[in-house]
Amino acid sequence: MNKTAMRSSTFLSRSSQYLLALGIIALVTAFLFILREVLDTALVALLYLIPLGLITAFLGLGPGITSALVTFFTFNYFFIQPYYNLTVHHPTDVVILVIFLIVAIVISQLVGRMKTGLAAATAREREATQLYELSTALAGLHDGRTIAEILAKQVQDVSHGEAVELSITGADSFVFRLPDSIEPVRAPEWIFPIQVARGALGEIRLWRAAPALTSSEKRLLQTFASQGALALERARLAQAESRARILEESDQLKSVILSSVSHELRTPLSTIKAAASSLRSNEVSWDSAARSELIAAIDDEADHLNMLVGNLLDMSRIESGVLKPKREWNILPEIVESVLARMKRMAGEHHVEVDVPESLPLVPVDFVQMEQVFTNLLSNSVKYAPGKSVIRVRAFVEENSMHVIVSNQGPQVPQEHLERIFDKFFRLTATDKVTGTGLGLSICKGIIEAHGGRLWAENVPDGLAFNFTFPLIWEGMSPPKMPMDTETE
Amino acid sequence: MSNAPHILVIDDELQIQRAIRTILTEKGFNVTTASRGEEGLTMAAANEPDIVILDLGLPDMDGVEVCTRLREWTQCPIIILSVRDSERDKVGALDKGADDYLTKPFGIEELLARVRVALRHSANRKGTQSKVVHAGPITIDLAWHSVKRGDEDVKLTATEYKLLAYLAANHGRVLTHQSILANVWDPADSEHTEYLRVYMRQLRKKLELDPERPQIILTEPGIGYRFIADD
Repeated sequence: MNKTAMRSSTFLSRSSQYLLALGIIALVTAFLFILREVLDTALVALLYLIPLGLITAFLGLGPGITSALVTFFTFNYFFIQPYYNLTVHHPTDVVILVIFLIVAIVISQLVGRMKTGLAAATAREREATQLYELSTALAGLHDGRTIAEILAKQVQDVSHGEAVELSITGADSFVFRLPDSIEPVRAPEWIFPIQVARGALGEIRLWRAAPALTSSEKRLLQTFASQGALALERARLAQAESRARILEESDQLKSVILSSVSHELRTPLSTIKAAASSLRSNEVSWDSAARSELIAAIDDEADHLNMLVGNLLDMSRIESGVLKPKREWNILPEIVESVLARMKRMAGEHHVEVDVPESLPLVPVDFVQMEQVFTNLLSNSVKYAPGKSVIRVRAFVEENSMHVIVSNQGPQVPQEHLERIFDKFFRLTATDKVTGTGLGLSICKGIIEAHGGRLWAENVPDGLAFNFTFPLIWEGMSPPKMPMDTETE
Repeated sequence: MSNAPHILVIDDELQIQRAIRTILTEKGFNVTTASRGEEGLTMAAANEPDIVILDLGLPDMDGVEVCTRLREWTQCPIIILSVRDSERDKVGALDKGADDYLTKPFGIEELLARVRVALRHSANRKGTQSKVVHAGPITIDLAWHSVKRGDEDVKLTATEYKLLAYLAANHGRVLTHQSILANVWDPADSEHTEYLRVYMRQLRKKLELDPERPQIILTEPGIGYRFIADD
């Protein structure tokens, strides 16, 4: 707003500045004219210099010089005898007049030059400030769109154009326009290319029919364009770098996983191979008990291998985002019961206490995936908690979420590993001591997160507790209440 | 030999073909095999097998397509045998007319059990279907609309009975949620699996000895339910 006011004062009143200068001269002349009889001619000349200096200082060089010339004539006309004509009788008066003219012009020149210098300095300072603002705003940005937005705003701020458009080319090309509501109907008046050494990254298009851009404005906008080019280039390089880093990291992760997987796969395979080749061997004649033991080993290890492959598949589905829960309104106790019924043999000597009341609302989950979460958490508890200890399953509603706790009396996990136990293939125990895939908990985490929930582990006084929560609201709906029919057949 | 049930195995893995042929021949079945979908369809048309065992991943066409084309002219039981273990694949094949679904790797006992159920079904389809279904202590008379535990009547609501009757009439088969909803409720309700879950829970409480460990109506996770009747 300030800048606009300043601009209009310099542009609008160019002619009125002259009028104002002449008015001031007229007033001063009238004032001096009244005092003509008491003032010395030389003193009048000196007094005239004051308004001249002020006019040049405040209204500029043009009005100053003009006023100096006008004053030369009014001084001669009204104050040098003979009055009311431009002839001069006394030689001293000639000297006074000439000195007056020289001094008036010199003062005007000096003051004017100073003023122009000041204006130029102010303009330079403003440019520098604008440039500084732009580069501060652009510093540290790594997103091309944000850079374009900021650049467009700054261009708009300094140019006061009708519209500014930033067109960015390349892989993710886009156009950003200010103001965005107006579709420009004509070609832009000004175009500044955004360029780096490698080539053009885009251009700034500016709609400003009048007034034409001054050379300093052009220079500033060009500088803006090159600042923008630098920022965009930096953003692109940063993105490329982070992509490369991610690729490298995922490569490393892959080889870690691959080595874990081959270890995990080889363990059951070696058992199968050993058992099968023993059975084929002619060296030993197996009695039927030993025989069926070997066959059982092959069968069990084949199941284990199958489970491992299944888990690996699930994991890759979770990671690629393919594993979308097929949500339906389910009965949580049914899921828990179905898991427990299937795990009955495995749970063996553990005592499972279930507190999942019938009165719980229906839950919007994928039945199979939620079964898998319970299966994995329970089998983890069975694996690590000592025999005959208690495993508790508890579910309750917490605001708009379901909160489930599966706790066991197994060993606690060091605080620093509570998060890491959900990482793939992370184990606290040596692999050869515990069978499993090292994937169970990370699959649980993936499933719960796909349901919009959260899974975490915490140490409790007598063991370890897995907690998970997931929202009960699904697609804006609360759990439905069931209409019951009571009439009997 | 000609009286032995004829089983057609369509699977492109020769190891599996060999294993199934060996065990089924041993059990007295007449087994033919095909490695490709088209070949299987031709053999099915020529031999009219009693059961088709079908792999989904065939080299020339999808097993579901084979299933659809078989169903254009025959009602013989189709048992899917596949490494695809997603519920979507299973439901897809079952909805296209397959009777049962077994995921590879499978135990041979499991396959034999499914084959026996399928044979009973094709027998029922051909001959007179039994109107009375027994499952443990429960007796369901589909003609008289009565359900008894021992000699005692079990009180069911109209919907509960409809649900039970549909399951019992198709005992041994996997029934998908959608097909149950469409047959017992209304095709328009096929999305409301929560109805099914709630009624199933009530039904189990009235029928099962231990509703938490059902023996009569089994859950096929993510797919549907299966009613287990006495042999």
